[in-house]
Amino acid sequence: MIENAQLIGLSRQIALQRQMDVVANNMANINTTGFKSENILFEEYVMPVARDQDFPRLDQPLSYVQDWATTHDLSGGAMVQTGSELDVGLNGQGFFAIQTPAGDRWTKSGSFELSANGTLVDLNGNPVLGEGGPIQFGPEESGILIAADGSVSSSAGAKGRLRLVEFDNPQELAREGSNLFSGGTPVAATNTRVMQGFIEKSNVSGVSEMVEMIRVQRAYESAASLAQKQDELRRSAIQRLGDMSA
Amino acid sequence: MKALYIASTGMSAQERNVEVISNNIANMRTTGFKRQRAEFEDLLYQQITRAGSQTSDQGTMIPAGLEIGSGVRTVSTPRVMSQGNVNLTERELDVAIRGEGFLMVQLPDGRTAYTRDGSLERSADGQIVNSQGYPIDPGITIPGNATAVAISPDGLVSAYIDNEATPTQLGQLQLARFVNKSGLESLGDNLFIETAASGPAQVGVPNAEGTGNLLQNYLEMANVNSVTEIADLIAAQRAYEMNARVISGADEMMQSTSQLR
Repeated sequence: MIENAQLIGLSRQIALQRQMDVVANNMANINTTGFKSENILFEEYVMPVARDQDFPRLDQPLSYVQDWATTHDLSGGAMVQTGSELDVGLNGQGFFAIQTPAGDRWTKSGSFELSANGTLVDLNGNPVLGEGGPIQFGPEESGILIAADGSVSSSAGAKGRLRLVEFDNPQELAREGSNLFSGGTPVAATNTRVMQGFIEKSNVSGVSEMVEMIRVQRAYESAASLAQKQDELRRSAIQRLGDMSA
Repeated sequence: MKALYIASTGMSAQERNVEVISNNIANMRTTGFKRQRAEFEDLLYQQITRAGSQTSDQGTMIPAGLEIGSGVRTVSTPRVMSQGNVNLTERELDVAIRGEGFLMVQLPDGRTAYTRDGSLERSADGQIVNSQGYPIDPGITIPGNATAVAISPDGLVSAYIDNEATPTQLGQLQLARFVNKSGLESLGDNLFIETAASGPAQVGVPNAEGTGNLLQNYLEMANVNSVTEIADLIAAQRAYEMNARVISGADEMMQSTSQLR
C-alpha cells in the first residue's frame, strides 16, 4: 500500500501549503487597522475501506488530512492614540455596522472620515451606521464627540448612536476583504466600549506567526522526505523482486 | 504557492508605510504640516467552504468556514488634522490658526489654495503674500508708511501709519473650512486644494462657525510627534522583515518539493 502512504503524505503537504497561506495573510496584515488573525483547523478524513468478514483482521482504515475550517481569533489588538477625532476604537467583542451596496457589513476598523456631504464613512466611502441609519453632520458643525456608549454629538447637539453589534457565534462570520466581515446573527452590543481618538491595531502576533511558520515549514519538509523515502523503498523493492538471479 | 504573493503584498504595504513615515519625519519642522498615516485593509478572501453550509439532511451545518486571504493593500493615507503646537516668533506677520480653518492663497493660475502655514510676508508693493509670494485672499495691502501691523484674533488687520495713535483698518482676513479636511489634495509648498471629497470651502471670518481664531506673532508647528513616528518606523521595519521571512519560508517549502523525484 505504498501508494496510499504517498497520497496521505500528499494530503498533508497540500494542507500545510494552505496553512502557510493563512500565516502569510496574517503576517501581511500585521499593520492593518482592526485586523483579526486567522487560524486554520485540520481534520482527519477516514477513508472508507473494503471490509470482508473472511479475513481474521480487518483492513486498517486510512486517515487523510483535510483542512477543515479557518477560525477568527477575535482577541483585542493594541489601542493606539491617533489624535484624530474621527478615529474610534472598540474595546470588547463588538463590531461597527457599515452600509455597503451589498448589504450591512461588520468591521473592527474604526478609522473613519466624513464624506463631502458630511456623512460618517469608512475609508472606502461606505456610510457607518448609527442606530437610525447613517450619521450625518452639517457643514457648520465642529467638535465631534463620541462617548463610551457610542452616542455621537457635535456643536449642533446629539447626532444619534453608533450601531454596535456583537455575535453569539462570531465564527459564523465570513471575511470579505476591505476589513469587512459579513453574515452572522448580529445582536445589539452590551459589552463594548467606544474609545474616541484611538484605533485598534491588528491583533496578529509576530512571534507566534513566526513560530507557526517554522513549524509548518519543518512539517512540510518532513512530509516531503517521507515521500522521498517511500519512493526509494519502492525502487529497491522493484529492483530486488525483479532480479531474476535472486 | 499563494504564500509567496501574499507576503509580497505585505512587503509592498510596509514599504509604503515607511515612505509615509519618512515624509512625516522629513517635515517635522515644516510650519503648519499635518502628518499622514498609512491605512491598510485586507484583500479578498477565497471562500473554500462557506460557514453554514449544510452537512446533513438533519440540518447540521459547518460552524466555521474555510477561507484563505490574499494579503493586504494600502487603502489611503489620511492626514491627521490635529492642532500643532504654536511657537512664538515675534514677527508681526506670523499668524497661527487655532481651530479648523485654513488661510486662502491666490495661485498664479487663478485657483485658490488653502494653507495652515501662517508665515506671511510683505511684497514689494505692500501686499500680504505667503512664503511663495502668492497673495492671500482676500488681498490686503499694507501702506509703505505703516510702522506696525496688528492682526486681531478675529482677523482684522490694522496698521499704525506715521506713528498715529489710532490704527487704520486695512482689511479682514478670512478662513476656509471643509467638511472633510482629510479629503484635501496636497500641492506641496504647504498648500492644499479642494477636491470632490473635501466638499466646497466654507469661507467665514475667524472666530465664527468653528473656523478658529488667529494668533499674531506665532506660527503653528508640524503636528508630527517624533516618538510616535519612530515607534511606527520600528513596527513597519519589523513587519517588513517578517514578510520577507515568509517569502523565504515559502521558498524553502517549494525547494523541498522540487527536490523530490
